[in-house]
Order: sequence, then C-alpha cells, then structure tokens
Amino acid sequence: MLRHFFTLIWNKRKTHALLIVEIWASFLVLFGVLTFLLSNLRNYREPIGFSYEQVWSMELTNNQDTTDVPAKVESILRRIRAYPEVESASRMSSNTPFTMNNMNNSVSYQNASTLAEFYRTDESLYRTLDITMQKGRWFGPQDRSARYTPLVINQKLQEKLFPGENPIGKTIKKDDTHFWKVVGVVETFKGKGEYMNNTPAIFEPLTEKDWDMSILIKTRPGTDATFEANLVKDVLAMVRNWGAEVTYLTESRKTQHNLTLVPVIIFGIISTFLLINVGLGLFGVLNLNIARRRGEIGLRRAMGATERSISLQFLGEIWVLASFSILLGLLFAVQFPLLHVFDMDAGIYLLAMAVAVVVIYLIVTLCAWYPSRQASLIAPAVALHED
Amino acid sequence: MIKLQNVEKVYRTSSVETLALNNINLTVNKGEFVSIMGPSGCGKSTLLNIMGLLDEPSQGHIEIDGRRVESYQDQKLARLRNEKLGFIFQSFHLINDLSVLDNVEIPLLYRNTSAKERRELAREALEKVGLSNRMKHFPKQLSGGQKQRVAIARAIVGRPEIILADEPTGNLDSVMGNEILAILQKLNADGATIIMVTHDDSMARQTHRLIRLFDGTQVQ
Repeated sequence: MLRHFFTLIWNKRKTHALLIVEIWASFLVLFGVLTFLLSNLRNYREPIGFSYEQVWSMELTNNQDTTDVPAKVESILRRIRAYPEVESASRMSSNTPFTMNNMNNSVSYQNASTLAEFYRTDESLYRTLDITMQKGRWFGPQDRSARYTPLVINQKLQEKLFPGENPIGKTIKKDDTHFWKVVGVVETFKGKGEYMNNTPAIFEPLTEKDWDMSILIKTRPGTDATFEANLVKDVLAMVRNWGAEVTYLTESRKTQHNLTLVPVIIFGIISTFLLINVGLGLFGVLNLNIARRRGEIGLRRAMGATERSISLQFLGEIWVLASFSILLGLLFAVQFPLLHVFDMDAGIYLLAMAVAVVVIYLIVTLCAWYPSRQASLIAPAVALHED
Repeated sequence: MIKLQNVEKVYRTSSVETLALNNINLTVNKGEFVSIMGPSGCGKSTLLNIMGLLDEPSQGHIEIDGRRVESYQDQKLARLRNEKLGFIFQSFHLINDLSVLDNVEIPLLYRNTSAKERRELAREALEKVGLSNRMKHFPKQLSGGQKQRVAIARAIVGRPEIILADEPTGNLDSVMGNEILAILQKLNADGATIIMVTHDDSMARQTHRLIRLFDGTQVQ
C-alpha cells in the first residue's frame, strides 16, 4: 500500500509541488527556531560558573586625567576593600559579567589552536565571584616574581588545547620573550550569562601598567543603595573629574537575558503563525482534494476499501508528501552540523531536526485527520453517481 | 447466488420522499448473465448498487450465497465487495494519475497480496482483455474502448464470482460496445455471474435473462 501511495504522489508531483515547498519551508523555519531555542535551553541548563548575587560593578571613567591612572585605580580599590560592607573587590578588564564587551584572541598550544575570551583581573576575583577551582589554584602572590605569566583557564579551553592531558604547569608561548603558565582550571565561566555558549576562557593577571577601570564589588547581605551613594561619593572625592557608575550584576543579568530572549520569543511567535497558516492551508487543500476525488473514493469503496482504509489513504498520502518535504529539508539541515555552522554542537542540530520532524508530522496529521475522516464517510453509491 | 426479497429503497430529504425501488424480488443464479433495462430514473443503478453492497435498502433482505448481509458491518461488507464482486461503470472510473497496471491492481491492494503477485495478476487480467501492450500507459492516453477494457481488467483481477456492470457500453460506439459485450460474454462463459444495466435492447437480448424496471417496480 505504501508503494501505491508513493506512486500516486510521485505521479501527482507537479500538482503537489507547492504543497511540498510549503511543508519544506515550514520544516526549515521550525528547524531554525528549534535550534535557536534548544541551544539557549542547553546553555541555560549549564552552570554559569560564578555567583552574581550581591555583586556590583563599578565603572570608572578618568575623562581628561591621564596621570598615574593605574595607581589611582589601585588606591580606589584599596579604599573600597576597606569598607565593612564589602566582602571582596576585584579589578577587571571591561568585559565584566553580563556586559556586551568582548576581549578575545587566538591561543595555541602545540598543534591545537582556539579562540578564547581573555579576562584581565587580579588575585581576588575568584573570591569576589565565588568561582570554584576544578584543578590547581588561582594566581597569587607567589606568581608575582615569576618569569612567566600565570594563567587560569576554564575546562572548555582545557578540552580544546590539552585534550586528555593535565594542563597544570603547561606553558603557552605568548610572544618571543614571554610565556604563559597554566596554574589553575575552573569549570565554566559564562561571562555573558546563562544563555551564553560555554566557550574557552582565560584569566590573566593585571599588570601595574594596565588601565582597566572596572571594579567588581561583593557586598555583604543587607547592603543597600545608601551605601552605594556613599561609595560613589567617596570614590569621586578621591579622583577629581572622574566618573563612577555602579550597576548591580543581577540587573545586568536581566538585561542580558532580555537581549537573548526577545529574539527567541519574536521568532517563536512568527514561526507559530507561519505553522498555523500552513496548517490551515493544508486543511483547505485537503478538503478541496477530497471534494475533487469523490469518484475515486467511491471507486475504492466499491473495490473493497473500508472506511478506515479510505481515512488512512488520505492520511498516508499527506504523510508521504510530508516525508518528501522533510527529506528535502533534512538535506539542507544536515549541512549545518556537517559544516559546523555557528560552531554549535551537532547534538543540538540533530535534536532540532528530530523535534522538527515530529512537529511537522503532528501538524500534517492534525490537519489531515478531519478531512480524511470526512472522506471515509462519503457514501460510495453517491460518490460514484456524482462523478 | 444473489437473492433480493421485498427490497425497497426510499430517498428522503427534509421535504421530499422519493421511492426509487418498490418491492423488488429477484434471484440471480450462479453463472447467469442478466441484464436490467428500463427508462432513465427507473432505479436500475440503485438496484445494482444495492446488489453490489454499495447502498443499503430501506426495507427488505439481500442474500449473497445464502447469507443475509443487511447486518454486516463496514469491514465485512468491504471484504465481500473485494472478494465476491467486480464493478464496471459507464464512466470507467479510472484514476488518471495511475498507470493502467496500477489501476488494475487497486482491488488487490485491499487484500494480503504481495506486490509481485499483484503485478502478475494485473498483467494476466490485462492480457485477458487484450491490453497487455498498454500497461505503462495512463488513462488519458487511451480510447474509450481501451479505458473500459482496463475497467474490466480491474473488475476481474481479484477473480470475483459476480460482475456488476452499470451501462458498460453507454459511453462507447457500437463497435466498441460489441467488443466489450464479447469480453463480458467470454467472462460469463468462463464461469462469472454477470448483472448488466443497459439501455441497449440488442445488448440485452444477447444475455440469458432480462429484468425490466419501471418507476422502481419490476415489470418483467
């Protein structure tokens, strides 16, 4: 019977071409939206790797003042640490958690090479952000006089550069005269938030010459906006004509989430409307198809088809049509994992394909069920007489 | 083989009631070639549909091979139609999107017959009607006579005992009509019971028995 459906659909391929294209396009849109959705969901389920509660970010701006900037920032940091409301504070490059700033560069070890996000920071960041070490340690005073630059990397970078090896103590060539030495590994560090892909990350110590003017401040529970106002006032009193702006990481996280989720929601709504339209279109086409094929229905009943087999025939035909479209769609979709588009896990693409296939079959079945049922209820004598 | 007792068929709408068949009693024996005649609208096709289990009588009983079939459910009726009955229609009712061979195979799709066996039986049936050279053709590429021969091949492919033909020569010229009648006579000679609705007296005269209907009543 299946062969019969294929023959029938194949012979009507010109009539069904638009329907096939419609289902094919729906499959691709669904695949795209699902990939987007599933990758965000997968990212969300992975740990972020640090704690942002009670952490504030202070962005300093030196404006026209260019004298002793690093030393001034250090003195501000010392002042901040001296407050009893502050549990811990750290300087950091401008790519602080949940900001849009990026600092990435390529890093190589032997034959392996990868792009990594660089975070310049100090010896106390792991305390400020409550980062758990997986291996080794955070850089500290013992590294200050060393001939190498100590590095802390995340597990993703370890997988890329040191697969199957213990990276602790390994040196990476920075330039002709400098080396980096891995002293610790953290599990994950997703600086852009939960929806960020877990990408390679490197933490390197700030030097005395660095001008980085972001300070992360972990406050004690119960610390409120009054302290924030006093803090900013004190800081600005220390450095004339500078600016200081405090943002709460919890707020920055919400903004970052909105930036990720709004497009997902928009795409989701658009594709839902598209799928509803496709469903209604299919429903209409099938109703018309059945009206045109009443004679054939009567004939099949006369030849021995039961009501159920008539119903199954129309469902079967739409499944065959959907299978053609899905096969075409899969030919396109499978290129994404094969060509590593967007550097996404093949598993996400495969899962999106599987879910898209199931949803398309579900939609076509729902749309075809009622017209197919109607077809099966056509009285054969009436259908044969009308044709 | 087929027995109708006090069969009555009434078509009802919300305002009109039409008596299509009135107290029909008839028996068709195995191996007979029976023709049904009568003016348009006298109930010939309705009678054929009821004998072919495509329609239900409003009253009365139908027996096929001694078994009353009024109480049969859809599945049992469908099996009976598939195994015992073959249909030929005036307008051929071929599916234009299927080749001649695929059209002939249709009744076998509703049985447990393998694809290979279906092909063989369909080829055999087409050979019997002299169309073995048109298997790959599509209905639109055939003449009226050839289409009706395909319809006959489709009716006999499942080797039914009874063939019901509703004006099989109605859309054909006399030469083609005679060819079709000859094929039906050959099938009858080979053992098939044939019930044919016709308008053509000369065709009816060549069958074993003639049943005449007038306004839904059997007059001969």
